[in-house]
Amino acid sequence: MLPRILLLAISLSSLAVTSLGAAPGKAARKDAKEAAAEAAKPKTPAKPIAPAAAVPVVPPANAVWRVWKDNQGRTVEAMFCGLSGEFITLQTKDGKTYHFNGNVLCPEDIAFAKECATKSRASGFSGLSVAQAAADIDRLVGAALAAKGQQLNAPASDEQFLRRIYVDAVGRVPTAAEATAFLDDRSADKRAKLIDKVVYTSGYSLQMFNWMADLLRVKDTFYKGVPAFSFEDWLKTRIAANAPWDSMVREMLTADGRLSDNGAAGFLLYDAEMPLDGVSNLMTTFLGSNMACAQCHDHPLADWTQRDFYQMAAFFGATDGKDEMVISQVKKAIGKDDSVPQNISRRIADFNAFRLEDSTKQKLTFPKDYKYKDAKPNSPVSPALIHWEKSDRSLPAYAIDVTKPAQLRNHFSQWMTSPQNPRFAANIANRLWKKAFGLAVQEPVDDIDVYSEASNPALLQHLTQVMKSARFDLREFQRVLYNSKTYQASASASPDLSQGPYLFNGPIIRRLTAEQTWDSLIVNAVGANADNILLRRGDDLKKMALPEGAVTAAAVRQVYEGMKAAGLSKGGAAKKSSGGSTAGLATGYDGEKPTTKYKLLLARASELPQPASETHFLRVFGQGDRQLADSATNDGSVPQVLQLMNGNVGRLVSDLKSHSVVAAYAEKTREAQISSLYLSYLSRRPNAREMAAAGKGLSDGLSLADLAWALANTREFLFIQ
Amino acid sequence: MNLPIPADQLRDPLARRSFIESCAKVSFGLSVLPFFSKLATAAEAPGAAANAGLPGFGKAKRVIFIQLAGGMSHIDTFDPKAGANKGPASAVSTKAGYQVTSFLPETAKVADKIAVIRNMTAKVGVHASAAYLMRTGFEQRGSVQHPTLGAWAQHFLGASSKTLPSSVCVGRPANKGNGWFPAAFSPLPIQSPTDGLQDVQSLADEATHAKRTKLLADLDTGFGGKAADENVKAYNDFYDATFQLMKSSDLKAFDLTAESAATKARYGTSRFGQGCLLARRLVENGVRFVEVAHGGWDMHATLEDRMEDVGGDFDRVFAALIHDLDSRGMLDTTLVAVTTEFGRKPEFSGGGRGHHPLAFSTVLAGGGVKRGYVHGATDAKGYAPDGEGISPGSLHATIAHAAGLPVQTDIITPAGRPMQVGNKAKMVKGLFA
Repeated sequence: MLPRILLLAISLSSLAVTSLGAAPGKAARKDAKEAAAEAAKPKTPAKPIAPAAAVPVVPPANAVWRVWKDNQGRTVEAMFCGLSGEFITLQTKDGKTYHFNGNVLCPEDIAFAKECATKSRASGFSGLSVAQAAADIDRLVGAALAAKGQQLNAPASDEQFLRRIYVDAVGRVPTAAEATAFLDDRSADKRAKLIDKVVYTSGYSLQMFNWMADLLRVKDTFYKGVPAFSFEDWLKTRIAANAPWDSMVREMLTADGRLSDNGAAGFLLYDAEMPLDGVSNLMTTFLGSNMACAQCHDHPLADWTQRDFYQMAAFFGATDGKDEMVISQVKKAIGKDDSVPQNISRRIADFNAFRLEDSTKQKLTFPKDYKYKDAKPNSPVSPALIHWEKSDRSLPAYAIDVTKPAQLRNHFSQWMTSPQNPRFAANIANRLWKKAFGLAVQEPVDDIDVYSEASNPALLQHLTQVMKSARFDLREFQRVLYNSKTYQASASASPDLSQGPYLFNGPIIRRLTAEQTWDSLIVNAVGANADNILLRRGDDLKKMALPEGAVTAAAVRQVYEGMKAAGLSKGGAAKKSSGGSTAGLATGYDGEKPTTKYKLLLARASELPQPASETHFLRVFGQGDRQLADSATNDGSVPQVLQLMNGNVGRLVSDLKSHSVVAAYAEKTREAQISSLYLSYLSRRPNAREMAAAGKGLSDGLSLADLAWALANTREFLFIQ
Repeated sequence: MNLPIPADQLRDPLARRSFIESCAKVSFGLSVLPFFSKLATAAEAPGAAANAGLPGFGKAKRVIFIQLAGGMSHIDTFDPKAGANKGPASAVSTKAGYQVTSFLPETAKVADKIAVIRNMTAKVGVHASAAYLMRTGFEQRGSVQHPTLGAWAQHFLGASSKTLPSSVCVGRPANKGNGWFPAAFSPLPIQSPTDGLQDVQSLADEATHAKRTKLLADLDTGFGGKAADENVKAYNDFYDATFQLMKSSDLKAFDLTAESAATKARYGTSRFGQGCLLARRLVENGVRFVEVAHGGWDMHATLEDRMEDVGGDFDRVFAALIHDLDSRGMLDTTLVAVTTEFGRKPEFSGGGRGHHPLAFSTVLAGGGVKRGYVHGATDAKGYAPDGEGISPGSLHATIAHAAGLPVQTDIITPAGRPMQVGNKAKMVKGLFA
């Protein structure tokens, strides 16, 4: 059975709609009714009611459109995006992606999908280039270590490598079955094969989302409860399609319109009311450039001046993020009409007011109290790009036209995302290294202005080159990192950086991130199918768009009706710190739906409200509040321990019906049962002493659920070696 | 008890070691020692510090440290001005002889119990770094995380309770509040004061819980037991502290329902109100240092509306807290600090005021601080302080003095760096009677 939303897409696209056969489940019957109703309408093409800024679809250069057919004869035209196990991801022409079990497709299509998957892997780095680039990493790390009389740690054991690669690339620990498959594999190249497997799983996309969500400050709502689900969906779509980083950043920086027109607009709209803060933030996020202080005065610790800052901000000086007129128009139209609750009409007004539009006038001026001699207070700012070395200015990427205000943002984004940009590639490469190793080559990641301060400048240069060779394909880049001996070495204890830079004798022992911890507990609770439970609420935001032209009370009422039907009129989060929005959760899960147990929605972190609510396990364990970039932490606290030992999560772990406890009980001997739980939580088999201790506990009256509770509360569970 | 040893001798490792040992036996209760997974540094016995003999030293046994997040406009609160930029409020006279704005009518009624500092000054107008500076007294640097006052106090004075944490933060994350001190010095974060401390009861019955925890200990001797990594060891400390806490009757401190209806009504039902009520209960039950955060002060726009809303909430709650502490006879030994990361510009723009670190106001009340007192002033516009101005570091030094900590005295961190509470700033003597 194709997922609900895909069925609607089929009917709307008016392609070969046949009567829908009997389908199980209430939802499917409702879909059948809706789809039939749609089919019965006169066949006019669906007209967008928003302005013509359609969702820009960026298909890969070799995109192949195909009419896919399921085993009941229904068809849809879509592009292949990915295949992970049995689950296939397709993208239709309007940019939406769908993720479902490919078994519903006809056999030719299944074969075609497999062929596409093989072909797309071939378009990445060849095994040989990966090996070469990884060997260069090892050589450069080795040289730095040798210069200080140090050496690389011994290789990590299979168990350590297994757990580490799953957590890093799939975002969760492996299941007992996944662990056994790897540990019992005798082939010499099993590590390389495992790497190539994990980076193509659905879990890969989920953990990349978590990592980017912290970097890009992804939040369900901003301002006063304005929903931003389309930004999340856009991000998930791009990640699932493995869109290169440069194209994603370009999309974010050049997006036009409202969140209903283009999800990518969410990035800039977040700071629409404080555009200067927004510029400071994007400099840090995309260039690792420490400009924050220069917003108000010449930077005390770096070479950036306040003038530099303003000249960069001027590239956004012709961009408006909020149209206050819309707010007054809505207020006027609604008047005293109370058929729409006031907070909702306010939210509708805000949602439509926040829109990115470029005008023909660059409006930024130097501040009134500007105190330096290099510009006059209140004078207009001429946009100009910063450079790190004088020679940067002669790079072709710097030859941009600043004379057309309406194009300033586009030109800025071309410079920003160019491989020639002095910091763009290095920034993302440095951050991804930190993701894999626990520490960046140049710390802190939000200040890489002076390359010579990196712990290993030659290594950073090499990584930058690899990123450029990968054409900003983040999956390919990470494949290189994972294949290095340095990544596969044993982990070191957290270094004391005051004694000198860490030169990467191996990755660093570190705690699982909040999302990795939660996702690991989820997979133990419900099994690996958790990777296929996906939340997509962005479509519903189209219902919040007011039509162009004069705003009428009728239009506002119609939007309100649409919002109610979509579940968007309640459950918004108005308070800044209380977490993401529960609006639309009931209907937002595509395909597989999560169960709820002990008041916990059992889906992976990326498929829950963003961020989770303050008292949720995720936040208590350090998921960021998404107010500032890079705000997630791995610090410990007593409330964390209380939740894991005694809270609802503790109940989830020690539930006799949890997936991994049930799987353990299915084993025939006590030793095999204990082993199964060890594999599920710690990705290894117990040694003799542990086997004896666990056996004694079980003899003493404890159950396997109690053993699961104990394993989840070990330090070993919480940390990646 | 005095152990006068000059600070420079403390840098000698051998002198330090023997000093630590004798200090530990004398100054720190035995219950404190388990919390030191490694003794951080040499600390001069607090009694020997230069500021120990000055008025106000050690009067504050507890500190409630309020953080108004976003930058409280000084002109619209504690430092009213006349003229074009006075803002939407009028000035209100108080029985203490100074004025506050009409946004703070309840605070005006307790003006004789508090001290207002009008000449705070700082350089940074960026939220994150300014908030860090006001929270720790140090400027934010990439290479080191500084501790909060609660962690400093725990270092010098030991744990304040055998079972409860010595520091708690309400309505904000802990953000490594222990700094370079052991993880156990980290403030316990309570996000929702009404929810309080959740999950303190074990899931299983006593016998099963005992078996489970024994099994846990047995199974983790490999990794957890042999840990060399500081983060793993920190988690060992947190697990130990949690087991302790679960057994403690002091947990009643977290239960707001035990308060009388009258008290609950005074504090009101806002998050901030509940947070301050919780803070009072916690300090009453042995917690030494409680941070309470209150958001919504970044009033770039709609300042009048927001001052009525956010400012009104603060006004009611702060006055309730002062009144409550006073009527329980706790105000003399409890210091309440109202802090914010910067002030707001005298000029209005877009219905609000922008960030302004050059001049702003904070408040100190109780704990030996002068009552009904205004310290310092700003110019007629509210743009700059008259004279030198008081830095956040100096405010920290002042609170530290009240708490009985040595000021302008080096300690050596585990990384070998000399540090002082308040970052070498002087405390403000004029605030103490």
